[in-house]
Amino acid sequence: MQQEAFANTEDFGGPDIVAVPGRLARPGRDAPYASYELARAFDEMFAADGAVRPPYAALDSRLSTLSLEELSRRQQACEQSFLHQGITFTVYNDNRATERIIPTDLLPRIITAAEWARLEAGLTQRIVALNMFLRDIYGDGRVLKDGVVPRAMIFGSKHYRREMRGLPVPHGAYVNICGSDLIRNESGAFVVLEDNLRVPSGVSYMLANRDVARRAFPAVFRSMNVRPIEQYPLELLATLRSLAPFHEDVSIAVLTPGVFNSAYFEHAFLARQMGVELVEGRDLLINDNVVYTRTTSGLKRIDVIYRRIDDDFVDPLIFREDSALGVPGLFNAYRAGNVMIANALGTGVADDKAVYAYVPRLIRYYLSEEPILDNVETFLCREEKSLNHVLANLDKLVVKAVGESGGYGMLVGPHASQTEREEFAAKVKADPDNYIAQPTIQLSTAPTFVGKGVEARHVDLRPFILHGAETKIVPGALTRVALKRGSLVVNSSQGGGSKDTWVLSQ
Amino acid sequence: MLSRVADSLYWMARYIERAEHTARLLAVKLESMVEQTPDDATASWARVVEALTGDDQPVTHQDAFVITKRLAFDRDNDAALVNSLAMARDNARQVREALSNEVWENLNRLYLRLSPVTMDSIWVHTPARLFREALEEMHALEGVTYSTLSHGEGWYFLELGRHIERVQLIGRLLDVHFRKAGDGMRGPKYFDWLVLLKFCTAWEPYTKQYTASIRPQKIAEFLLFDAEFPHSVCFSVDRMTEALARVAPGAPPARRAAVERLAGRLKAAVDFGQVDDLMSGGIAGFIADITRQCEQIHKTLYSSYITYGAETVL
Repeated sequence: MQQEAFANTEDFGGPDIVAVPGRLARPGRDAPYASYELARAFDEMFAADGAVRPPYAALDSRLSTLSLEELSRRQQACEQSFLHQGITFTVYNDNRATERIIPTDLLPRIITAAEWARLEAGLTQRIVALNMFLRDIYGDGRVLKDGVVPRAMIFGSKHYRREMRGLPVPHGAYVNICGSDLIRNESGAFVVLEDNLRVPSGVSYMLANRDVARRAFPAVFRSMNVRPIEQYPLELLATLRSLAPFHEDVSIAVLTPGVFNSAYFEHAFLARQMGVELVEGRDLLINDNVVYTRTTSGLKRIDVIYRRIDDDFVDPLIFREDSALGVPGLFNAYRAGNVMIANALGTGVADDKAVYAYVPRLIRYYLSEEPILDNVETFLCREEKSLNHVLANLDKLVVKAVGESGGYGMLVGPHASQTEREEFAAKVKADPDNYIAQPTIQLSTAPTFVGKGVEARHVDLRPFILHGAETKIVPGALTRVALKRGSLVVNSSQGGGSKDTWVLSQ
Repeated sequence: MLSRVADSLYWMARYIERAEHTARLLAVKLESMVEQTPDDATASWARVVEALTGDDQPVTHQDAFVITKRLAFDRDNDAALVNSLAMARDNARQVREALSNEVWENLNRLYLRLSPVTMDSIWVHTPARLFREALEEMHALEGVTYSTLSHGEGWYFLELGRHIERVQLIGRLLDVHFRKAGDGMRGPKYFDWLVLLKFCTAWEPYTKQYTASIRPQKIAEFLLFDAEFPHSVCFSVDRMTEALARVAPGAPPARRAAVERLAGRLKAAVDFGQVDDLMSGGIAGFIADITRQCEQIHKTLYSSYITYGAETVL
């Protein structure tokens, strides 16, 4: 069994893309770019004609003076450092647990100030609209009455928590910590692939990767005015604190499933960096709807819980009764307003595939603004016009069942046979509500050190958005890399790694 | 401090102490066995095995290779060095936020270094060297623990774990040596008494106190009652008593009293113990009593500060 270190609520993509064989970016040039290929995808470093994009100029000139051996040495030093720090995930094999590091690439991915400004504005707009949506569907349901989103889609979702109806949350902020997945499409624009609104992870790798890249390229780093990200734990602390304005001395805890969870390193890291208690379910007990931790000196009250366990496991009395990770009675304490939980329960209803397609409309509906960041174009088969388009273009589209994940119930049009397409078309016609379709997606590529040189590898982008009394986005992100040549799967369990992301201040 | 964190720190320190003790016994034994006759070496190995595992079966058909493998690297043997280190590290991993980076990284590095070692790879050269190096790293770990961790409650839980374990380890070692002290044929010889001192890093401190004349009675006196030597029972009991006074500062007085009373009784037993009384036959009984008292302290520590139920405080 292998665990996913950057837990996704769902896997995206799957086998929906063909790796297009590329042409060399630098024909005739030697190391390190001897086998750097440009293909259909947008490349972060090289323009289509092979010219280095301006933000990468300094990195490019540094790379041309470093030998591959020196790069390898730096790569190994970085891996050693991760191993010693215990930044690992566990792979179980023949009852023997072995620990692996998550591969980190030395070369930073660079985002310009202008690009970041747009991302920041777009992500802020999105998180505000999503929170208004959650407040609405757990409140009056105006968006449902107005017919913007189908009622059945919300109430039928397994992530809709009836228990949350009518329950006020501080600042109307349901999602306090969000880690959205974006990609850069072929034309170079960032689009949102997925909103992770439940228990997103990876922020500790964003911070650890910064140490790596800064150590590998200190001079380049200094020369480029990279915006700092080290304040993330402080911002997170401020966000959590803003949820409990009712007294001065707010006591905060990070709730972890425990040391066997693949993201445990991150839970411990955040607790340590914030200077708050890291607790497991068994450390907490509830008396008279108040939450306490058991300490050596007696019981101590807890006001805010940053939970890193899923809804289902939070409270065995309300949700899954076989959960040993949660705390019996926690939900009642929450309902009584004696403890705040971040993220609120029931946020998962807003990040499934079907609701995703509605987010641009939600932004228009709640904010009367045009979305700054686009979605990947998505056709909802429940709408007749889209359905007709999908059926007519099955050979070009990826069709997915909304209730499924991990590649099930999916048709990859360009790869399917005529018979398969016809069979699938029948299924879609029989139950159009259950299907969405998207064009095939090309993730952008970024320079990645692969031992024998620097090559292009597909990347995505996961920035982390904090939303309490106000919205804060630390100028950085986790850039995940598909380390296999041509692969578009960036997940850590399937050969994915990550790299530092430099957001420039000008 | 969270009770669970205190629990992990306490056990982390106990397992590190156990690992260090195992590594030292193996290093000293492997270095010294070349100077013994085969029979003496076998008897001496039997004492080491019993002290480390509680297993008092004769070891006649096992050679040093098999025994070392079992005590150091056998994953099925709970007392094996690698298992002690793995347990120490597992506990440390659960309280990363309560440790300094230096402490964690030293321990993690040590584990990662020893965990893949095979007997075949160390046996061809000087097998003791690996254990010596491990000891050096454990001393470094002890050093960074002392110098990078705040000496607050967590540190005192580490102290408690280390010394409660040490008292019992030294006790068991003395027990296996003194039980057969009168038995001329199978009992320890002069060389074995010298090795016993080395098992406790006590050779030099002992000679400073008593000169190089090796006498079992003086060894017992030194390892049980010397107030200044860090691997004596008396020294460890003092540290335990001090640590118990510093943990759980906000706990209700009745709970604190329950623990401190037991610690006071143990300290009195050690402070006023007389080696002359013991040598007239009571050393095994004395050690058994000390061990029993340590177990009681452990139990009361847990019921007072760590596993208490909510109903007892609300």
